[in-house]
Amino acid sequence: MSQYKIERVKTGIPGLDELIEGGFPRGDTILVAGKAGTGKSILATQFLYRGIVDYGEPGVLITLEEPPRLIKRNMMRFGMDLEKLEKEGKLAIVDLSPARTTSVNIEEYPSFDLSGLEAIIMHHMKKINAQRVVIDTLSILAYKFKSRDILREEIFKMCANITSTGCTLLLTSEIPAQDTGLGVFDIEAFLASGVIVLYNEKISDTSRSRSIEVLKLRGSKHSSRIHSMRITDEGIRVWPGEISPGT
Amino acid sequence: MTDDDAAVSEEDSESQLVEIIFFKSETCAFCPRAEEVLRETIEDFGPEMFKITTYNVTKNPEKAEEFGVFALPTIIIGGMSVTGIPEPEMLLKMILGFKMGVRS
Repeated sequence: MSQYKIERVKTGIPGLDELIEGGFPRGDTILVAGKAGTGKSILATQFLYRGIVDYGEPGVLITLEEPPRLIKRNMMRFGMDLEKLEKEGKLAIVDLSPARTTSVNIEEYPSFDLSGLEAIIMHHMKKINAQRVVIDTLSILAYKFKSRDILREEIFKMCANITSTGCTLLLTSEIPAQDTGLGVFDIEAFLASGVIVLYNEKISDTSRSRSIEVLKLRGSKHSSRIHSMRITDEGIRVWPGEISPGT
Repeated sequence: MTDDDAAVSEEDSESQLVEIIFFKSETCAFCPRAEEVLRETIEDFGPEMFKITTYNVTKNPEKAEEFGVFALPTIIIGGMSVTGIPEPEMLLKMILGFKMGVRS
């Protein structure tokens, strides 16, 4: 095997880098999938926060679901002051949550692209020279638009354009409660070169166990086990040596 | 129809004006046709009836963010929007809906 080394982006999640050869490949699209309450948004926001604070990489958070004030409040619980980073011009939180909608879409014709969303994201990336971008959560687009085929193609194009700048893009995707796939599109895994799945499985009548699985990561040797994960006072932490009791 | 950020084609002094906002981008392949359909649809009415604002989001991404417009082309008439190349009938319905709303 060649000695060529892919440049890695530290995830900022203690324990996760050890499972994936030191970090995500720089400039890749990574999907974080999981059912509701598994910690996808925390992981994604922590990736941005630690990227700025520990590695000096500015980041953009595109929120399609939760309003920024709730994200900021919730992340403060882990000691992550997003407001401060925003004021310092190192973080941009772009509020595209449904609460912001100014018009009601009454018809969608299958002749559109996502250049509006892409222009918004690119604009913020450029403004702060972002090296990390998070879109939380991709699933909202599936509810917003009915032309799934167009949407898939457009999301694919948009991700390619974002990462062509060298940015590492992290997408979150919500797996519907009774679903066994990786999200509402069924093809989320194809969009990304890396897929991380989070679990919060019931292991007894009185307890649940959180765990994390690296389902795929192109260009990397990664663990094929499901590892224990906890949401601590400092955010998400992975125990690389600990195999989840739920598996 | 003018083609500049926040360009306004008519005076907006009259409250009866139908406000139309058209969003496009420089990479959007469907936008020129959507603009044509919009122009042809409103041709039969007097131009003094409309206030048309065109936003090119490539030049003015803040407007896409302000209005939460992800997909292009998008046409907004009186708080209602359509995405894609619209059918003229739909635009007529939206214009009439706007007029009825103003009257009531």
